[in-house]
Amino acid sequence: MSLASFMEKVPSKIANQWSKFKVHMLKNYGENPGKMLVHTGTLGWILSSLAQVGAVVFNDKISSEQKSFLIPQEIADAAVNIISFYLITNSMKSFGAKLVSTGKLRTKRIRNFLEKNELMGRVGKRDFNIGELDNLGSLADHYKAFKNGVDVVTSTVGSIISCNILTPILRNEYASKRQKKALAHRQEYQMKNIQHPKGISIADYQKLSALKYSTKNPGLRV
Amino acid sequence: MSLTNFIDSGECVVIIKNLVNTFRNTSLYKGVQKQAHRFEQGALDLLPDATFNKPKTVKMISDIGHDISSAENRLILGVTALMTQPFIDAKNKNVDEETRRVSVCRTIAKIIAGTLTGYAIRKGAIKAIRAWSQLPAPGVSRYRTLFTPKGARSTNTEAYKQYQNAMGTVVALVVMMFTNFIIDAPLTKFLTNLMVKNSGGDKK
Repeated sequence: MSLASFMEKVPSKIANQWSKFKVHMLKNYGENPGKMLVHTGTLGWILSSLAQVGAVVFNDKISSEQKSFLIPQEIADAAVNIISFYLITNSMKSFGAKLVSTGKLRTKRIRNFLEKNELMGRVGKRDFNIGELDNLGSLADHYKAFKNGVDVVTSTVGSIISCNILTPILRNEYASKRQKKALAHRQEYQMKNIQHPKGISIADYQKLSALKYSTKNPGLRV
Repeated sequence: MSLTNFIDSGECVVIIKNLVNTFRNTSLYKGVQKQAHRFEQGALDLLPDATFNKPKTVKMISDIGHDISSAENRLILGVTALMTQPFIDAKNKNVDEETRRVSVCRTIAKIIAGTLTGYAIRKGAIKAIRAWSQLPAPGVSRYRTLFTPKGARSTNTEAYKQYQNAMGTVVALVVMMFTNFIIDAPLTKFLTNLMVKNSGGDKK
C-alpha cells in the first residue's frame, strides 16, 4: 500500500475506529456503572502518573544523572499506585457484585422471589447467579438497579480505602526510606570528595605536611 | 503482508485470543483459578445473609447506582481524603516536625485543588457529552451527534445515561492531562504557601 493511498484512507479509518469505540463504551459501561468507575479511575491514575513521569523527563533543570535515578523511581511509584488502586477497588466491586448475584445480599422482593422458586438452598454458592435466571420477569429491572447501586457503593468504598488510607501510608513509608537513602548517598559523596578549603585535596595536603614536617626539614624541633 | 494489512485482517486478534486460550489451559492457571474460587466460596460462607426490608433503603441504594457519576465519586473521594490523609501525614514519625507540618499543608492543598478541578471538569465534560450525544433527527446539527453511538434508539434509558457518564469521564481525563499542569499544580503551590504561612511560616 502506497503512502498516498494510505493517507487517503486515514479519515475513514479514524471514523470507523471512533464509531467502534462509541459502541464499545455503550456495550461495556451502559449496564455497569461500577465497572466504569473502576476502569476510568485506573485510567486517571495512569494518565496522572504519565504526567508525573513527563514532568521529570522534560524538566531541563534536572541533570541527566538525577533523571536516571528519578525516572525509574517515578515509574515504580506509578506502578504501586495503579496496581493497588485497581486490585483493591476491583476486588471490592467484584465481591459486592458476587454478594448480590448469589443472593447473600438481597432485597425483600428478591428474597420473596427466591423463596417462591425454591432457590434459597443455592444462595451463597459462587456459581449461582440470579441475573442469569430465565424467569426473572418484572424483577429484572429491580435486581439490576439494586446490583448497580451495590456496585457503585463497593467500588467507591474500595477507592476510599485504596486512595485515602493505604496509598498515603505506603507512600509515607516509601518516601521516608527514600529520603534517608538519598541523604546517606549525599553524605557519602561529600566524604569521598572532601577538599581542603583552599582547593587542595586531602591527599595533597597530607603530602605537603609530610614534606614540611619531615626530619630533613631544619625547621622541625624535637 | 504489511503491518496495516495484518492489523486490518484481524489476524492479530486471532493470535492474541489463541495465546490467551493456551494460557488458560495451563495447569498453573487452572490451579490458581481453583484456589481463587475456593477462597471466594470461603469468604461467601463466612458472611451472614442480609435482606434489606425497608423500601427506603433499597431505593437509596438503587438511586446511588443511578445518580452517582464519576464527578460525584471524585467529590466523595476528596471529602474522605480530607478526613484521613492529613492525619496520616501528621502522624508520620519518620520525618522531623517541620517537614511534617509542610507535608500536611501540601496534602490539604493538593486535595482541595485536585477535588475542585476534578469535580468541575468531570461534571462539565459529562454535561457537554449529554448535549453532544443526541439522536440524529431533522434540525439536530451534526456536532450534537458527535458522541452518539451507532444504533442508539433512545437517550432516556439508564444504559444510555451511564454511557454518557463514561464517555464524559474519558473526555474529562484527557482534558485533565493539561489542566493538571495549567490549574492543579499552580493552585496547589499557591494554597500550600498560603497554609504554610498561616501555620507559622517555613522555619527552614
